[in-house]
Amino acid sequence: MTEPPSKHSPDMQQLSAYLDGELDSSTRHNLADHLDTCPLCASQLARLQTLTADFGNLPQETLGFDLAGVIEGRLAAAPRPPEKKRPARWWGLLPVSIGAAASIAVGVGMGSALLGGAAAMPRVTAMSVFDTLPPGGLCLGPDSCYSNGARK
Amino acid sequence: MEDEENGLASRAQAGDRQAFAQLVRRFQDRVFGFILRMNNSRDEAMDLTQETFMKAYQALPTWRPDARFSTWLFQIARNATLDILRRRQLVEFVPLDAGQPEGEALDPPDDAPLPEEHLSGRQRIALLEQSLHELPVEQREILLLRELENMSYADIAVTLNIEAGTVKSRLARARTAVLAKFQHHAGENRHD
Repeated sequence: MTEPPSKHSPDMQQLSAYLDGELDSSTRHNLADHLDTCPLCASQLARLQTLTADFGNLPQETLGFDLAGVIEGRLAAAPRPPEKKRPARWWGLLPVSIGAAASIAVGVGMGSALLGGAAAMPRVTAMSVFDTLPPGGLCLGPDSCYSNGARK
Repeated sequence: MEDEENGLASRAQAGDRQAFAQLVRRFQDRVFGFILRMNNSRDEAMDLTQETFMKAYQALPTWRPDARFSTWLFQIARNATLDILRRRQLVEFVPLDAGQPEGEALDPPDDAPLPEEHLSGRQRIALLEQSLHELPVEQREILLLRELENMSYADIAVTLNIEAGTVKSRLARARTAVLAKFQHHAGENRHD
């Protein structure tokens, strides 16, 4: 852009941004100085300005009716859903996690205590089922009593 | 103006339907004009404008006051329009600048005497509309947002979901392209 006018091609990006006021002040000042001495760039800038003016002359398209009334009717028929809850952060789940872990630990502990402590009792009971003499019984029947007694 | 529109949007977000109705009235023609020039179908543009506001209302809980409401609204309108154009398979995803990266220098339009200088105002408007419609969607949308909506580069970047630097190069390319088409049609017009 700072080259002599005859040796460079206008930088359309810079000219376009200059037109829109989107250059930083230093670049803008440099380009403004250059435009004073470069008819090529000045001509292209003028074309961009004319284009913008032409856009400004395009007819305003209008919908032609009050859309707000239509929207209002549709919204009345289908109200807005409630705002979605944001997903909970991990630390928000901490009390629940601790509670769940404690419940499992207590459950396992209780289960272990029951199984471990009562292991002998059911076994005796179970064994008694298959014992030849029922618990508290003296003998299986009169015959066996006699036979036992006979053996003794 | 921006504070006012964001104030209305905040009220609408809190459930004030009257505030939303005011926003609809304020933006309905601008949104309609944008969509119409994007898809070139009046009936479809009317439907899409209505859908844009319905979607905006549904999405209001996600709007944040640090974003300009109009930028957010045009983002919705643009996405809805692109969806329709994709369904119609009218979006050209390989635009005129396909062979030239967006950061590279552009060839300026021909600096020969301008054939469009003899045109009347009405002819200029007709040729501009024609030239605009012949542009790829990527160039057309950025021109509309800048030239008709007067959006800043930052707002355009948000609306189109692109980098601010890309806005600068794409806009310059779009202007160069529309000028070239305009000049071409003006030349044809003169020989008629």
